[in-house]
Amino acid sequence: MPAAASEMLVGASSDFLTRFSPFNRMEPEALEFLAERATLAFHARGSEILTPEMGQPTHFHIVQRGKVQARQLGPASVTDYAAMTLGPGECFPIGAISAQRPSTNAYVAVEDSFVFQLPAEDFLKLMQMSPVFHVFCTQYIASLLNQSRQQLQSTFAQRAAEQQTMTTPLGQLVKKAPIFVTPDSSIRAALEKMSEMRIGCIVITDADQKPLGILTQSDLLPRVVLPGIDLQRPIGDVMTATPHVMSASDSAYDAALEMATHGVRHLLVVDSEGRLKGVVSERDLFTLQRIGLRQIRSSIEGADDLEALQRASRDIRQLALNLIAQGIGAEQLTQFISALNDALTCRIIDLARAKHDLYGIDYAWLAFGSEGRHEQTLSSDQDNGIIYACPEGADQAALKSRLLACAKEVNENLAACGFPLCKGNIMASNPELCLTLDEWKGRFGDWIREPDPQALLNATIFFDYRVLCGNERLGDQLRAWLNRTAKAYSNFLRLMASNALQVAPPLGRIRDFVVEDDGTIDLKKSGARLFVDVARILALRADVASSSTVQRLRQAGTRMGMPAEEIAALIDGFHFIQLLRLRAQHLDTEHDAPGDNRIDPDTLNELDRRILKEAFRQARKLQLRLKLDYQL
Amino acid sequence: MNWLTRLLGTRTDTTSLDAPLRDAIASWEALAAPELGSAHFETRYVVINTEATGLDLDKDRLLAVAAIAIDREHLSPHDSYYAPLEPDAATALTNLLTFAGKGPVVVFNASFNRSLLERALDEHLGLTPDWTWLDLHWLLPALYDEHIDGPARLADWMKAFGIETFQRHHALGGAWAIAQLMLAAQARARALGLNTPRSLADLEHSRRQLRRHG
Repeated sequence: MPAAASEMLVGASSDFLTRFSPFNRMEPEALEFLAERATLAFHARGSEILTPEMGQPTHFHIVQRGKVQARQLGPASVTDYAAMTLGPGECFPIGAISAQRPSTNAYVAVEDSFVFQLPAEDFLKLMQMSPVFHVFCTQYIASLLNQSRQQLQSTFAQRAAEQQTMTTPLGQLVKKAPIFVTPDSSIRAALEKMSEMRIGCIVITDADQKPLGILTQSDLLPRVVLPGIDLQRPIGDVMTATPHVMSASDSAYDAALEMATHGVRHLLVVDSEGRLKGVVSERDLFTLQRIGLRQIRSSIEGADDLEALQRASRDIRQLALNLIAQGIGAEQLTQFISALNDALTCRIIDLARAKHDLYGIDYAWLAFGSEGRHEQTLSSDQDNGIIYACPEGADQAALKSRLLACAKEVNENLAACGFPLCKGNIMASNPELCLTLDEWKGRFGDWIREPDPQALLNATIFFDYRVLCGNERLGDQLRAWLNRTAKAYSNFLRLMASNALQVAPPLGRIRDFVVEDDGTIDLKKSGARLFVDVARILALRADVASSSTVQRLRQAGTRMGMPAEEIAALIDGFHFIQLLRLRAQHLDTEHDAPGDNRIDPDTLNELDRRILKEAFRQARKLQLRLKLDYQL
Repeated sequence: MNWLTRLLGTRTDTTSLDAPLRDAIASWEALAAPELGSAHFETRYVVINTEATGLDLDKDRLLAVAAIAIDREHLSPHDSYYAPLEPDAATALTNLLTFAGKGPVVVFNASFNRSLLERALDEHLGLTPDWTWLDLHWLLPALYDEHIDGPARLADWMKAFGIETFQRHHALGGAWAIAQLMLAAQARARALGLNTPRSLADLEHSRRQLRRHG
């Protein structure tokens, strides 16, 4: 029975393949085609599997066990830095074999490795028969990013839909068990129940819990109090009979329409058998509607007290959750968060300014650090300061103390709105950080001329400033001066570069990731910051005005002649890490724990792990570039 | 006890087998002996594994046989064979001969697998193949002493190479793992200048000698 044996072995191969993307999504007949034709070979550590000299590749390879390194060969260019390591489930060469040209990479086993191989003509047939495989091959990295985004989307979609959208079924909106009485209960008993349960209405049902009527607080005055009705009489005598009833499967939108049409504030929700499930009030629906981008924006602008702003701040978090559920990318997401936080901060400043006399003072509110870079996540501290101009002959001390008093109120109100006070006192209310243009120049100049470790650390926070509100020109003047000065002191940039290289991407030689003692990776320290630190140096060198990491990479990279696709890959890598950070923070805040940027790579799915690996490789590439530029 | 049973003439007479089986055996016997001096990448090795009622050679019986070829240093799922001895042991074993040809044959732990198989072949087909047997039980520690430097169990070698298989106690599941170990053994042998089946046989022989005298 030779057929039985090969069936079992083909089954073993396809079982293995389905543990990895894209094979797990591949059409069954395509997967079988692949598993049937793939043979297994062994490559000892150090042996070459495929090199450019071997000409047009005869086989497509899929790593079964071990590690294979891809090294780019050929004339030296910036793309040649990185060597990429492929693990189980990863395959090569995709470009060379689809285009039927020699590989540009050398693939070498860096461990004893077992590798499946598929003849080139079968690879091409597989591309034809499997749309999934075709897409995978043609959009290698891009499709990985998309899938991850889709996955992220589905995780959040359910919760977001439950919580915020107008398409939510009413059955899910009902949070409390219904409170009801029968029509023969006394009015007194019913009112006592309403008072005890602190509810605005009571439902009257028959013995089967089917609604017969409703009595709301606003009915009490005309029907009970003014007529002086005996409270011992049955509630059936004063209730509104045939109340408005909706099915649990109707949407929040249907309910809003019903309320508007009939001018009622409460609707009874019943199950498929007509039994009372609960009550939906106008306020429940209002809460749902409030959380939209435009609504939050206008509620911030219209807010005239702290309480309204606190509500807006909570809504911003909810919106972020929604946006992730809608599959929005990290760049737009952080831009939205940043724009709304800016609006919130400006409104807080406006409110504070009304109480403090700042008339005639030319100033600007500065945001530093991640807020300065437009990369605020949901757990960022506040980092801010003030730049101001002191007119000739004015009393500078008096002027400054007026600014400081106002800043103090702003800092406190920001804290009340969920932006924790900065532990390092990097706040506008700190007299050291409320400075004139000349004072800021002096401060920055000291750090550049004498770059001791503290000065370098300061530079990483303060050089990422931007004007959040006030006179933008003050900020622009400082930026022009800063870029000019930093460029002139090449030793300063060199030390910044050496500082930026102190943390390497957590990529392991043996394991995929190097983790800390608790098994996690700090996505801020060992992830995002690697990009941020290099981007800052490139921006100072290439005279880029923007404080955002993405803009810095894009503009400085273009100025320095980096190929567009290489810049795009760097930015994708950075965004993916930011997305993971936001996701971790979201999941954390759901449990009321502070987001802390830590992620256990073992909890990621295979796909996210691979993209994260790729993102770290991009960080390494960026660091290597810096290393070469500064001969470090 | 093989020599004794053979001597006493209780062995099966090939003539009692069906004609197609007799033809198959005849064409197997007519095959040329393999060229033991050619390189691994020119050789078809056949990994054979057995499934028995237990591990006691005196009491236990062969239940099934499995074989996977390593042809020119590649494992292909199609070049494989599996058959239980029930209900027709003669056909199962004749097909194994046809699949394996004249070898060389690779096993893990020949003292058990080879004995069991030779006994069954003798009993049902009345023949003992003149295969060159290579035993990974001896070869692996000689080639990969950085992993394990003495004879060890199959499970230990699978662990050392991170090899997984389906149904370990199924003859084919075991053969799949052993075949992967053979791929690794070939690569290391080549690196050490042991390029042919013969050089592997010599290595195994010297290992056994060493073990016996050391």
